[in-house]
Amino acid sequence: MSLAPLALFLISATAVAYFIGYLRAFKIAKPLGGVRNLAALPTYYASMVSLWALIPGLIVLALWVALDGAVIESLVKASLPEEAKYLPADKLGLVLNQVALVAQGLGDISILGLEYQAAVERQMRLTQLSRDALPLLVGSIAIISLLIGLRSVTAAHNARYSVERLFNIALFLCSCIAILTTVGIVFSVMFESWQFFQLVPLSEFLFGTHWSPQIAIRADQAGASGSFGVLPLIVGTLLISAIALLIAVPVGLLSAIYLSEYASARVRNVVKPALEILAGVPTVVYGFFAALTVAPAIREVGDAARAWGAENGVVWLANLNVSSESALAAGMVMGIMIIPFVSSLSDDVINAVPQSLRDGSYGLGATQSETIKKVIFPAALPGIVGGILLAASRAIGETMIVVMAAGLAANLTVNPLEAVTTVTVQIVTLLVGDQEFDSAKTLAAFALGLFLFLITLALNIVALRVVKKYREQYE
Amino acid sequence: MSDRKDIALRRAESLQKRHAAETRFRWYGRAAISFGMLCIVFLFTDIFSKGAGAFQQTYIDMEIHFDPEVLGLTPQSTPAEIEQASFGSFFKKALRQQYPDLTSRKEKRQLYGLVTSDMPLTLRNQVMAEPSLIGTTKSIRMIADDDIDVYYKYSYGRDNEDGTSVGRATELQQSIVAELAQQGRIGTRFNNTFFTAADSREPELAGIKGAIVGSMLTLMITLIISFPIAVATAIYLEEFAPKNKLTDFIEVNINNLAAVPSVIFGLLGLAIFINFFGLPRSVPLVGGLVLSLMTLPTIIISSRAAIKAVPPSIRDAALGMGASKVQTVLHHVLPLALPGMLTGTIIGMAQALGETAPLLMIGMVAFIVDVPASVGDSATVLPVQIFLWSDSPERGFVEKTSAAIMVLLTFLIFMNSFAVWLRKRLERRW
Amino acid sequence: MTERFQTVGNPLLEDPKMRVRNASVFYADKQAIFDVDLDIGKNQVISMIGPSGCGKSTFLRCLNRMNDTIDICRVEGQLELDGQDINDRKIDVVELRARVGMVFQKPNPFPKSIYENVAYGARIHGLTDNKVQLDDLVEQCLQRCGLWKEVKDRLHEPATGLSGGQQQRLCIARAIAVNPEVILMDEPCSALDPIATATVEELIHELSQNFTICIVTHSMQQAARVSERTAYFHLGKLIEVNDTSKVFTNPEHQLTEEYITGRIG
Repeated sequence: MSLAPLALFLISATAVAYFIGYLRAFKIAKPLGGVRNLAALPTYYASMVSLWALIPGLIVLALWVALDGAVIESLVKASLPEEAKYLPADKLGLVLNQVALVAQGLGDISILGLEYQAAVERQMRLTQLSRDALPLLVGSIAIISLLIGLRSVTAAHNARYSVERLFNIALFLCSCIAILTTVGIVFSVMFESWQFFQLVPLSEFLFGTHWSPQIAIRADQAGASGSFGVLPLIVGTLLISAIALLIAVPVGLLSAIYLSEYASARVRNVVKPALEILAGVPTVVYGFFAALTVAPAIREVGDAARAWGAENGVVWLANLNVSSESALAAGMVMGIMIIPFVSSLSDDVINAVPQSLRDGSYGLGATQSETIKKVIFPAALPGIVGGILLAASRAIGETMIVVMAAGLAANLTVNPLEAVTTVTVQIVTLLVGDQEFDSAKTLAAFALGLFLFLITLALNIVALRVVKKYREQYE
Repeated sequence: MSDRKDIALRRAESLQKRHAAETRFRWYGRAAISFGMLCIVFLFTDIFSKGAGAFQQTYIDMEIHFDPEVLGLTPQSTPAEIEQASFGSFFKKALRQQYPDLTSRKEKRQLYGLVTSDMPLTLRNQVMAEPSLIGTTKSIRMIADDDIDVYYKYSYGRDNEDGTSVGRATELQQSIVAELAQQGRIGTRFNNTFFTAADSREPELAGIKGAIVGSMLTLMITLIISFPIAVATAIYLEEFAPKNKLTDFIEVNINNLAAVPSVIFGLLGLAIFINFFGLPRSVPLVGGLVLSLMTLPTIIISSRAAIKAVPPSIRDAALGMGASKVQTVLHHVLPLALPGMLTGTIIGMAQALGETAPLLMIGMVAFIVDVPASVGDSATVLPVQIFLWSDSPERGFVEKTSAAIMVLLTFLIFMNSFAVWLRKRLERRW
Repeated sequence: MTERFQTVGNPLLEDPKMRVRNASVFYADKQAIFDVDLDIGKNQVISMIGPSGCGKSTFLRCLNRMNDTIDICRVEGQLELDGQDINDRKIDVVELRARVGMVFQKPNPFPKSIYENVAYGARIHGLTDNKVQLDDLVEQCLQRCGLWKEVKDRLHEPATGLSGGQQQRLCIARAIAVNPEVILMDEPCSALDPIATATVEELIHELSQNFTICIVTHSMQQAARVSERTAYFHLGKLIEVNDTSKVFTNPEHQLTEEYITGRIG
């Protein structure tokens, strides 16, 4: 069923209502001696009437669309043959689906059996009824409410109040979307995770040292056969994030310091936007760069080092083994990605340190680097720490680079030359392509999602607190 | 203070060391900046050097005799008959006629592999459009197979010290290429296919049009949903919200959502939109919904900054004239804050354009050979296309991936410079 | 070019600590100080007065090259400390600032402990060999600034917890810990209440026995109380320099008279 004509009807009703309301306002104003004797401007009356025409109809339409399927389904369920009524929930769903398909003419009754004829007919009847009733209902409601709206176009009624109150409510509802999103995230990951923890005990998930969800193919004993120890993933994630921060923090911080304390305005105007470019490059590009350029390069260097080591009898070098999907490659590229993040946050923080502190230090004969190291840096430290925490949260949640460059091997290792996998990589691999929604494998992705959400949430909250507190200190 | 001399001496003693430390520190800073710059230069040159070749496609000219007997067609044949004719075997035969020496099966297969596997279909379409071709001989320009393409562009005519070549062109094929080149029948020209085709299993036939259209549709949904909601939220929080727990909670939520990893939004989309509401997978509509939830915080935060930048004196002036709060906001604050809001929106859109992970979750990774026509069609987007191609083993796809990245970066640079320009142009200083 | 303005009074001295000739300061294209000639005597307090924006603070910041920290600022002319040109490129600005210390308008203690604030200068210049010496130095400086009794029990608490007057005296203590030869004070009392101001003025008076002090002030009473010589600036020009008593009782230039009688604000 197409909703487009109905939507078009509602929109035109709204437009017409605006026009009628406008005229009506002038009409009642005339005997009173002009528009200025109305409680509000004619446009407000017009808006009020048009909103009356639009909103009740829209609500009914939305409710109908949302509930129509469920209502029909429960009614059809009543006309199913006796034996079908006692089917388990998922089988019943399948049957109902087939009934709907047959009713639409997309299948033959033979796939169900003739005893389902009654149900199919009922489905057809109800769908038809719904299709016919909806425009009638919405149309009449729109017209009735338009009339109600028109009745309240009186000189004494201040239409501006009504319209503005509605405006206010609409704004408020929009801002609640942020809450709804958070709630949606929490609920979606919570619900599936809860199912997951029915299958796999929490303790095994948190403290298990072996991760291989792939084994769990047989759905009936999913939890028992696969192993879902998250430790290797955590270690892998932390390893890669640590490498990334090891690169991004010194480079980002030192560039921010150099740019804000040393560089001339000209250099700053060139270098700062140039560094920002790094932040604008999509992560998939970094992933490509890591997988096709950096990882092979590291491997080549490793092989060369091994050959050299074998030749010169340096045992640890001779035993060097660089994986083609090393944590180092992913971590390094991720580090490059978050350089601008660290540098722009540190830049803000360093610039917030009042000039008077710098003057105080220079006035005593401190060099610039002494002033930076001993006065500015300590003063800016809380803010910088907050920035680093935010960067860490970003590194932990980063997906594409690790998906493309870090690989799937869940090794429990801290050797940056070996392949590791991360929480985000596993979420992606478990969900891409897999459609089965109740296997432990898929549910595990949501459990990992919950885990990731909680960690990044905690980091963010702490970081935002620290940064905010720091800002207040100098305001 | 008789010890001034002594102090000056002490000071002088340490001075050299301190200055050395100062210089050292400066160099640390310079090194850090150079490292950053170097990364940019390296990243870009790496991608450009890999991708530039993809804008050229190797072509091979071949004389094809449209033999009526082999085809079983005459110039008077109906389209239905042409449809039925076996162009596959005809094409193979036509190629064999050109190289009668190649007799073994292996050699023949290598011969067929010179041009794209799509060729019989192209020939059929040509005959369909022009049945009079039948019985004539015509020089047909054919798209070379990706192995040949890569070999011709990167290895042919260059002395490789170790004798290896890029790609998987065999020795036989290499010698044929050399022969063709001598006759001037092989060459490169601008790769139209790349911009007019959708995805394909064959690198030489793969294009980014499908992905670009998919990205546009997805971004359109994102913009339509996120911009009004973000602006409304920003106005509410800055101008109308009472100072209470609920408002604080909304703010905390927005700030946290801005830092939630994008892959989590993918989980949300999968669980809520696809699983709960039953929306289809792989469609721009769902992609747009997910991305708008993701970009909302960005736009809200920049819109709030733009509203904050409007000086209170303007509000006071309007309120002083007896305007209502809503009138003040709609007539004065909003128009003044709009440029800032637009800038934030464009930056948010650029972010959404480059986003990949959440779209993988909602199934936009399917292999789709059609250009999507509406927001309800299965589609992929540019970054996901890049991800898919980067996973393909063919050498030809490496080049295509880099080229797709160049296109994506061009879009992003354009959007971001537009945002900067807009800000410069419309920014007002109070 | 306008004719060079001639300062009235006695700008020049015999054997001065600092000698300024022909000094001009520019902010980008805008000239803020015009051809100032002035000598600053050894162990003397000289105050600079004048209406706001007259350039007295800018002039003060030339004397230890604090203007270097402002990108667009350019200083011309000859400024000498003990006969040495301080604008010379070869001069080490770090050493210069150690010799010519500065106290600022707003107290600006570092966000560290009281002790660390005072010890900072001594540490960076390597003035002490061990903790005992440093402790001594800190105590000595705090005592000279009359702060010791007030803070000796909380030396390791943050300096930002002190009152405004205490903070400013701490900043002075911090400055003298480096044992400079000249101390520049840029309206040191403008952010303080009258009682704190009195304490600081007393301190300046005491310090003048060992230090050469240049003080910028907007309070004529303060100039009269603490300084031996007074220089009056107007719109970037040095109008008149003379003994303080002379300037306040019998100004030679009309502008000076108008200012001290309150006709120029």
